[in-house]
Amino acid sequence: MKFGLFYEHQIPRPHDKEQWDPDAEHKLFKNALDQIELADQLGFDYVFEVEHHFLEEYSHSSAPEVFLAAASQRTKNIRLGHGIVLMPPRYNHPARVAERVATLDLVSDGRVEFGTGESSSEMEMGGFGVHREDKKQMWEEATREVVKMMTQTPYPGVEGAYFGMPERNVVPKPLQKPHPPLWVASSRRETAMLAGRLGMGSLGFSFDTPDEARERADEYYQLIREECYPIGAAINPALGVVSVLSCFDTDEEAIEKGQEGSQFFAYSLAYYYNPFTGGAHTPGRKNIYADFYNAPPDQRWGPFGDAFRGFGGFGGNLSSEEPKDEVTRALWRAAQRGGCIGTPDFIKDTLRKYEDAHLDLMIFVAQCGARSHEDVMDSIYRTGTKVIPEFKERHAKHQEWRAQQLEGVEHVINSSI
Amino acid sequence: MAVKTDRIQDAALRASMEDAQAALKSGDYKRVVDLCGEAYVELLGRKPEMLQGAEQFRSVLFFPRLGAHLALNGDRQPEVIYDRETFTFSEAVTYFEFAVDNLIKHEI
Repeated sequence: MKFGLFYEHQIPRPHDKEQWDPDAEHKLFKNALDQIELADQLGFDYVFEVEHHFLEEYSHSSAPEVFLAAASQRTKNIRLGHGIVLMPPRYNHPARVAERVATLDLVSDGRVEFGTGESSSEMEMGGFGVHREDKKQMWEEATREVVKMMTQTPYPGVEGAYFGMPERNVVPKPLQKPHPPLWVASSRRETAMLAGRLGMGSLGFSFDTPDEARERADEYYQLIREECYPIGAAINPALGVVSVLSCFDTDEEAIEKGQEGSQFFAYSLAYYYNPFTGGAHTPGRKNIYADFYNAPPDQRWGPFGDAFRGFGGFGGNLSSEEPKDEVTRALWRAAQRGGCIGTPDFIKDTLRKYEDAHLDLMIFVAQCGARSHEDVMDSIYRTGTKVIPEFKERHAKHQEWRAQQLEGVEHVINSSI
Repeated sequence: MAVKTDRIQDAALRASMEDAQAALKSGDYKRVVDLCGEAYVELLGRKPEMLQGAEQFRSVLFFPRLGAHLALNGDRQPEVIYDRETFTFSEAVTYFEFAVDNLIKHEI
């Protein structure tokens, strides 16, 4: 199993002021670069950077290609993942995506992971005029064409349903041939199965349990073998999942320093992704963190619970039972004391279960909520020195298993697992 | 090797999902959506508890909305409404996986 870090660039507003300090975003980005540089030195394999727009507090990562380019010059080995690029052409013209991904691949000496996705928050879709019912079709069309732009000379052009352009040679071309490994964000199980059918890595944002991860791996690799119609010129068989991380010497310290950030991650995510709350957001004025901070600890799910009351999941305070719906459940799990909040030994025990389930990649959310830079650095350091080495030693065994799964697959493979 | 549709217990629905899988492979994505929509409506018919109380909202809302969506008609019965007549591979896969998963989960 390999390991990565996952960045939303969360920056809660101060709970007692209307706006952030003037230097807050500057510090956030500089600190994140320090964290990634440390992770690279410690042997973390990946950093994945989201693309979101207008989701203040929850994610200030609207130009990931710029941030990853900066990270590329501070690091040597860590893979630089888009987690993900918003593919509907109203967010990013496909030719600009191809150009930016290729340029990043060149300046990073071929370290790019090309993650793709659709977006689903009302703030983003409404801001760019993307209609929910069309976004998957837009994603598919744009992703197919971007791959052609990266691999064909010249790109013959297209008159698609959502964008068109004449014949052009889209340059530069990426360093990795035929193109960087392809991924798709899979917040729902259906999309993970789509990833298998299209030969893409699945970036699962669903906080799967080990048993769920195993079932998903079995189905996914069966689809890769039997029903794969690659969207690109090379397939990237890989399953990754996201987990919150807080790694300290005692459980108490890990929870004290990690749990609030995890809860805010889930709280703010739920706020923006629920159409009732996210769609009614008041830009520039709403203080999400103040609502979260001022709620009694056992009611920090207030807006979440209310928002999901009608979904049959749960309402009011946090239920002790897992919600039935997949997305709601993912958020619920994110706010629990996750499998990766604890001591190095506790976290290793959890990770061994995912390793046994044949997960390819575990991606940690270390920076979230109001966690301090120092605590994030500590947590990354302890994970890199006391958790990851054991798994690195066994990765060759996982690669053997993976090679067996891919036996007979005739598609070209470009994967960094 | 066993395929997931084998786990659907009802023979007619299993055959329908096998047809949907064949349509997926042949590129007839509209047929995939048709068959999956019909299968899900059939499921709701056999599991009336899925249309009771808050479950109703969930059952209807979480049906994919990718060019076809589920709505309740004047008799409060679920029906698939088409917003367009063409679908892509990824959309068809989403409807297919959703329908098969639900048929298995509800032990139909």
